[in-house]
Amino acid sequence: MSTMGVIFANIYDSSLGELTNKRTMASLPYGGRYRQIDFSLSNMTNSAIRHIGIITKYNYQSLMNHIGSGQEWDLDLEEGGLEFLTPYATDHNASYRGKLEALSSAMSFLQYAKEDYVVFADSGVLCAIDFNELVKYHIDSGADVTVCAKKGIANGVKQLDLAVKLDKKNNVSDIAVDYCADESYLASMGIFVMRRDWLIREVTEAVAHNRFRFERDLLLYGFQNGSLKLNAYSFQGVALFNESTAEFFHNNLALLDRDVRDGLFRRPGRTIYTKVRNEVPSYYGDSSEIDDCMVADGCVLEGAATHSILFRGVKLGKGATVKDSIIMSDAVIGEGAELENVILDKDVVVGAGKILRGTYEHPLILKRGEVV
Amino acid sequence: MNFLKKHCVAMLLAGGQGSRLLVLTENTAKPAVPFGGKYRIIDFPLSNCVNSAIDTVGILTQYQPLELNEYIGNGQPWRLNRSHGGVQVLPPYAKSKKSEWYKGTANAIYQNIPFIERYDPDYVLILSGDHIYKMDYAAMLRFAEEKDADCTIAVRTVPLSEASRFGIMNTNEDGSIYEFEEKPKHPKSTNASMGIYIFKWSILREFLIADEEDPESENDFGKNVIPALLNSGHKLFAYQFEGYWKDVGTINSLWEANMELLGTDPAFNLDSEKGGRIYARNYAMPASFIAKSSVNKDSLIGEGSGIYGNVKHCVISTGCTVEEGALVEDSVIMPNVVIESGAIVRHAIIGEDCKIRRGAVIGGAFAEGEAKKIAVVGKAKTIEANQTIAPGEVC
Repeated sequence: MSTMGVIFANIYDSSLGELTNKRTMASLPYGGRYRQIDFSLSNMTNSAIRHIGIITKYNYQSLMNHIGSGQEWDLDLEEGGLEFLTPYATDHNASYRGKLEALSSAMSFLQYAKEDYVVFADSGVLCAIDFNELVKYHIDSGADVTVCAKKGIANGVKQLDLAVKLDKKNNVSDIAVDYCADESYLASMGIFVMRRDWLIREVTEAVAHNRFRFERDLLLYGFQNGSLKLNAYSFQGVALFNESTAEFFHNNLALLDRDVRDGLFRRPGRTIYTKVRNEVPSYYGDSSEIDDCMVADGCVLEGAATHSILFRGVKLGKGATVKDSIIMSDAVIGEGAELENVILDKDVVVGAGKILRGTYEHPLILKRGEVV
Repeated sequence: MNFLKKHCVAMLLAGGQGSRLLVLTENTAKPAVPFGGKYRIIDFPLSNCVNSAIDTVGILTQYQPLELNEYIGNGQPWRLNRSHGGVQVLPPYAKSKKSEWYKGTANAIYQNIPFIERYDPDYVLILSGDHIYKMDYAAMLRFAEEKDADCTIAVRTVPLSEASRFGIMNTNEDGSIYEFEEKPKHPKSTNASMGIYIFKWSILREFLIADEEDPESENDFGKNVIPALLNSGHKLFAYQFEGYWKDVGTINSLWEANMELLGTDPAFNLDSEKGGRIYARNYAMPASFIAKSSVNKDSLIGEGSGIYGNVKHCVISTGCTVEEGALVEDSVIMPNVVIESGAIVRHAIIGEDCKIRRGAVIGGAFAEGEAKKIAVVGKAKTIEANQTIAPGEVC
């Protein structure tokens, strides 16, 4: 049994507004030193998946820059390794409308592969998961597709790409797409397993009939007409859904909870890798007051920060206060500035004494490189 | 295989036992000793090479090479994983007629003449793996070329009162060396050798072979090769280096060099904007968590740490935990150390992977008027609950 991976880099970009204006969801910075795709890539590497295609639609320059040869994930390989499946890499229409169309345009990637199974992942859900266990669970079930899903996400308000309901025997009793499902449903984590030959056949068939969305036009379609056996794997670990700006904000701050932090970063054999930046260790000055924060390397801290995430290379001036905020790489916060419920994108400069405030539900976002 | 010619090849002497670092080098070669929160000593000369566009580096290992070899790997962290050149670890090896350890610094290079010859270099740069500094070797090489020097020796100015501890280069006005004195009782000048040499390879090769044939020789650059060059009338020049430089060969100097990284305007600034970036092998760790209960003052803290206690004037390396109620002051904590609640660590160096149990007390304040006494705990040791390690004690 061997498994290959497909990572969809742009799925929910539009719902993250300005944070994904000039980058993919996959290259969105997270947790002080990561990009969101690090989780999917590391999960695959840690599960010995060594042949991975990254499907991108637009804005993929920062993503390519981040991943490079894939060396940080041990994916700079002679055979297999990483392939960027960009729109114009094929003869197909550039602006595909869904995962099926995207796969159809990357068909040769699937056809020339040797692996028996394919695992899908996307960049909006962060977790540390063992795909081997998932694939084994899938094979044992005899199903066509297994969806990895998480309980406790559906709340009747959040719209889910794919919601799954299980009966008492853990068989799938209902599925729904683009649906604000209630608590009785599990939320799809965008992680799926299926046989490669089955996938090739189904994609070809679906796209030929103008069906282009994986969840709606393949899973729901097949489930309803009885031609597809769907199995669900209920994931028990920490899974963070970063599908809106508010979720992104809250799920960064969630790392300040030890259980969340350990569930993502300290699982044995599930190390999350990222690009190395060779920053120096962070310096905490005599006047610094850092409480309840994640701090990456390369920071120079002279001011105060509470309940916040400080990415690499942040400069925090004397007398500045930062509260409940996400400060991305290389931001400079001037002396005496006050920030609360703010997301500073990379390279933002906040002048001395400036006051910036958002709310917990609507954090104030400053665009990359902005100077205020 | 074809080897491309290299203008300058660096040879890094990394085989020293470093016995003055006591327990810290019990199972580790000195160049692999951690420094500055996330680095190892060898990162400094290696990064200097890369920042000076020298892409071919031979690393001569001998003592406890395992950890050092693993650390260097294929050289990728320093961009030295090259098809042509790159980094090559050169341990002593058995030859057809005889097998021998490196007898001295010059002999170590002598035994690797075939390695150097592959690149047909014009110059060879000799470095050692126990100094902390940032230096542009390319500037020194340009100086050597301008002077058409057979050998160029980097020197720095030391106080006259301390000059008798060093190898002193007495120079003419143009920088040419007319005399070399090893630890002179009555020093005539203050140009101390930094153990960094650039030789014309053709000249060095000739002298290494001659040195090897001399049964009286200790096969040492400072004691034998440099004096021999000088006595035979070759052109030797001193190259003045102005920046920070520290030999971290003793417990006290290693501790001091770490402390000199601290402050808002540190004596030695690791920042890449100050004389080049220092590269290191990075380990995948999340950002550090700094708890509400913590107090951190004037300290460097590496990634992957969890700080819940009090840290003042310290270098805390990658992956350490300081529990709530622990106190760490004026200390160097190497990677992956756990300091439990209520432990007190002062004026100490704690080796990698140590566990300091609850209520243990390590080191203490310096006594006035006495030499600084640094407590040292060797790699992977456990200090039991309420155990005391006195100031200056080594365990």
